Amino acid sequence: MEQELRKEARKLLDEGKADHIVGFARGSLKFTATPLITREKEEVASLVINPFIVNNLAKFLTEVPGRVGIVAKGCDSRSVVSLIQDNQVSRDDVVIIGVPCSGLIDIAKVEQLVNKDRDEIDDIALQGEKVAVIIGGQKTELPTKEVLFEHCLGCESPTPQEYDILVGIPTNAIGDKELSLRRIKQLEDMVPEQRWAFWKKQLSRCIRCYACRQVCPACFCERCFVEESQPQWISPVSQWQDNLMFQVIRNIHVAGRCTDCGECERVCPQNIPLRSLSKKMSELVDEMFHYQAGIDKDAPALMTAYEPVEAEDLIM
Amino acid sequence: MATKKIGKKEIAKLLGMWNQRLNVFVPFKEENIAKMVRWDGIDVSFLDWYRNTVIPCKANFLPSMERMFSFKKNEDGYHIEIPQDEQKQLIFGIRPCDARGIAMVDKVFTETCEDPYYVSKRKNTVLIGLSCTNPYDSCFCTSLGLKPTESADVDLMFTDIGDEFLIEEITDKGEELLAATSLVKQATKADGAKAKSEKAALSDMVIKKVDTKEIAKKLQACFSDKDYWEKVAAKCISCGVCTFLCPTCFCFDICDELIKKQGARYRGWDSCSFRLYTKMPMENPREEKWRRVRQRVCHKYEFYPMNFDITACTGCGRCIRLCPVNWDISQVLSSLPASATSRSEK
Repeated sequence: MEQELRKEARKLLDEGKADHIVGFARGSLKFTATPLITREKEEVASLVINPFIVNNLAKFLTEVPGRVGIVAKGCDSRSVVSLIQDNQVSRDDVVIIGVPCSGLIDIAKVEQLVNKDRDEIDDIALQGEKVAVIIGGQKTELPTKEVLFEHCLGCESPTPQEYDILVGIPTNAIGDKELSLRRIKQLEDMVPEQRWAFWKKQLSRCIRCYACRQVCPACFCERCFVEESQPQWISPVSQWQDNLMFQVIRNIHVAGRCTDCGECERVCPQNIPLRSLSKKMSELVDEMFHYQAGIDKDAPALMTAYEPVEAEDLIM
Repeated sequence: MATKKIGKKEIAKLLGMWNQRLNVFVPFKEENIAKMVRWDGIDVSFLDWYRNTVIPCKANFLPSMERMFSFKKNEDGYHIEIPQDEQKQLIFGIRPCDARGIAMVDKVFTETCEDPYYVSKRKNTVLIGLSCTNPYDSCFCTSLGLKPTESADVDLMFTDIGDEFLIEEITDKGEELLAATSLVKQATKADGAKAKSEKAALSDMVIKKVDTKEIAKKLQACFSDKDYWEKVAAKCISCGVCTFLCPTCFCFDICDELIKKQGARYRGWDSCSFRLYTKMPMENPREEKWRRVRQRVCHKYEFYPMNFDITACTGCGRCIRLCPVNWDISQVLSSLPASATSRSEK
């Protein structure tokens, strides 16, 4: 699949169909990948596809100039579609190289299960229902469901639905809807006071590095409300109340745009379970407006259209 | 000063003794994120799992947010209340890279100007270093003149020699801490020899090597190479992870909070990666991402050495490990072009 991808990417550059290729290269550390943004024909030879290509590359579409050939997993392609719907990107300026995704390995889960850090592990191989982990010559098998990201377990279209070129054959990732919503269910089962205490504790750790916002393709505002000073919507100081407001407002702003790529949660250096907010928001959007983000590039964006049949209890 | 030793099993007792008159801080994991927190008086399990904290120890002196003072206005006029923080504290287990980081931040907050908030915490703190026994693959301290057993920046230095820790007394403050206890014993010549061989072996465990020779000169040469900086900056997402979690980054922002007639002034971490960091009424000299990326690299390896004769990087590797896009500073340092060959822009 990698060879095919490299060939297609090269062809796009050779034929002038793309000015830049945005894909993944091997990361500098074990079990990591890194975004590759290039116009050098030779560099496409380092493109990779593996269970560690975690980034949502749609993030770069709004800043890379010219026509972009973008490597897209299911979630990435949904984000591309969403950006097209929001007029942030023109469909004509992107060549989507679809990559069927078998689910991404959450290295933090592997670390927990084997009680070792990433760099102490020799090998991790995704083999269908099992993930083989080798440490010091010893092989341990873990159930794939327990080491994939939760958003991958809930992904309904791991093979991109919108693409120009599809590399490899469509897959059905190992899904488990229940497991993917487990933590959200736990929060729903709490009484409001418990839930309040939970988020207070979690958001007390926030240091306002804004990695969640910066990594999010749906956060494309030129200027974020957090940085407004006249009026100042929330304090820039990392107090839990303001951190909570930041996340609440951010989630409302990306409602109908969040494609559940899980990046906000993955990059949080303080392990704040941010997907529990964003996924819940997506569920509500689906429930109230029968709308899923990034599915139909020709449909109006959620917040730009109104149907008389829509729920009215949204309006206070 | 003398070299002593203590059995590993006695550590809880030693910490307990110090805890009676000092606020003892140790590495602790909350939601899998390690940082230096107030010791609970019992748990020393960090001795088994601790490699380094996610939040560097600088946060104990320059917290991510801090109230500078409170103010209010009434009939008598304005009233200002400055929080008094004179608590004596002891931080146990700081790694040599983070201790060096504090020594670097000291230059800004004690030498350039005396920052009362920083200075009061700093002078009331003793640092107990703990040699690394298991450096990460992203650690590169040995490329910056440090080693996993470096003792220069702490008051006492503990090094693992099997069932015991060898303790080096570095400062008078450190020596006093051990003066009145029978928990520690004099180290023998054999202990010293063992520690010496351990230390040599530990330095070899830092596998990542970065050529930092003449790095400031190289950076100067390629400063205006826009093409190069644009290329390396392309995947950066301009978040604050690398700077906030860097043991030597010290930038902060100040803001006031006012509710009716009272409020407070706070300061919190700020980052040169943020676009608004240099925003001024008329212009922004670092509006473009490549300029911000360049600033971060140059500040650490070129400007800081110019000002303080020391590189503002300790090779702790956090920025590499925790970067959302695996932007690896060591790769950038190794790929600097010899001179500005292409489009030149300051």
